[in-house]
Amino acid sequence: MTVELYLDYDTVIHRLDARIKLLIFVFSFIGLVLFEHPLWILPVAVLILLQTTLARAWVNVWRIRALLIILTISSVIMWNIFASGETHLFWFFDLESLLYSLARTMLILLMILCGVNLISTTRNEELVLGMIGLGLPYRVGFAISTALRLVPTIAASIYTISQAQRSRGLDLEGGSILERIKKYIPLLIPVFISTIRNTNVFGMALESKGFGAREDRTFYLKLEMRPPDYFVLVFGVILSVLAIILDLRGFGAIPGLTRF
Amino acid sequence: MKEVFKMWSNTRMIILTALTAAIYAAFLIVFKGGIVLVPGITEIRPANVFPPVFGILFGPAGAWGAAIGNLIGDIFGGTMGIGSIFGFFGNFFLGFVPYKMWGAVWGLVSRDDMSQTTNTLKKLVAFEIIALVASATCAIVISWYLDLAGIVPYAFLAITITVNNFAAAVILGPILLSLFYPRIKRWNLLWTDIMNEEDVSKGFAVQLGSTVMTIGALGGLIVGILVAVGMAGQEVYGFSGESGQIAVWAAVLPFLVLIIVASFMLSGQEQFVEDDLD
Repeated sequence: MTVELYLDYDTVIHRLDARIKLLIFVFSFIGLVLFEHPLWILPVAVLILLQTTLARAWVNVWRIRALLIILTISSVIMWNIFASGETHLFWFFDLESLLYSLARTMLILLMILCGVNLISTTRNEELVLGMIGLGLPYRVGFAISTALRLVPTIAASIYTISQAQRSRGLDLEGGSILERIKKYIPLLIPVFISTIRNTNVFGMALESKGFGAREDRTFYLKLEMRPPDYFVLVFGVILSVLAIILDLRGFGAIPGLTRF
Repeated sequence: MKEVFKMWSNTRMIILTALTAAIYAAFLIVFKGGIVLVPGITEIRPANVFPPVFGILFGPAGAWGAAIGNLIGDIFGGTMGIGSIFGFFGNFFLGFVPYKMWGAVWGLVSRDDMSQTTNTLKKLVAFEIIALVASATCAIVISWYLDLAGIVPYAFLAITITVNNFAAAVILGPILLSLFYPRIKRWNLLWTDIMNEEDVSKGFAVQLGSTVMTIGALGGLIVGILVAVGMAGQEVYGFSGESGQIAVWAAVLPFLVLIIVASFMLSGQEQFVEDDLD
């Protein structure tokens, strides 16, 4: 099972400065979270889908399709329970709540896409440098980027161990919720132990390479802003400011919607 | 609170932060597709057993790991949103409260045996109390903010998060702690083995700090729900009434202040005992 999410391509998105790629994530978040109506989310959605296409990251989206499908189905249905409107359609579905549920589902899926785009196009060391460039202390940036990189590895461990346990007769799908949760104990322990046991070796490897030896450190990689980076930065700032102004003026709401 | 920042100068604590964050995030993502309670906000989270266990074993690294892991879980699990900001702080407290309180749970964990495992009935009781307080602390931090932002009513979310956190920890927590402790101890990876005692804050009223923390967490939960139900017309464990009400905001705020004050009162230094005392 391949666990590395970084895709080694030379696309226009890959070539962007890591700081800009992190800021794209923030801009996308602002553009998505401010509006209730799916049509108002659509422009940002198009930009994010364009980014995924340009980055050739659909292969990674395909890898998490099962999660995306489950989240889509549950979100479209359940937000209708937590919201209501004036135009009744059928059962517990109102037009306004349906629009709201579509918007919330788009938010969920697009934020995942933003994360996938970021990880698919940015190497770990670039990500750390990007975080430092945005003001995060080096050690904190290192911890976050290492964790980000390890998640797929650990997820793969969960998969491997679950396959091994299944081959020994463990049925992870059967039984009540509590029974199913209990069945995950044979997965929790080996995953935890196999991950944590490498801490000392990992620490020695880092320190032998001078990690933490000096407060001020230099980097082999240099981040450099180029014209496309400035273009994306200015474009993102303008869009974000525009989104905030439109939100403050009351645009993007669903008339007649009552949340909870 | 000194150790929360001092730990960043220790390589092994940084690695433990990354590893615990990755483990927590991986299990959160696995269960994202499980049973959704509020889409985009929360779901059944058996992985929530990890922060209290990580907190007790790895101290501040476990707390930071819980906070960062939750954020990563939000990004890749589709629950990234306004709530993620306070989700970060809420999950930080879910790992922070356990290690701060472990040695100060009204004598349940004695100085003669500070080992971070549930090898006696008293320590089992201590773990359950700590898990409940940490669960409620996490819940009121997140719910207070999301109610204020008008996203989810306090009376619904505070109970949901507390139950969700505590249900995972109440049974699985002691089992995992007793299974993990001997290995972590053997590998010298307990936070008390890695950090220096002088890098941990002294606190100024340790035993009283536990009481203040408990009042802050459980008081904030109960008073917040009563005010939300009485003045904001919300239903207990229901999705009705109005959120964003100043009454809920003002009623819970003093309890949040108590939690912050208790964080400075508590220490963690009492867990630094010589092995021959174990």
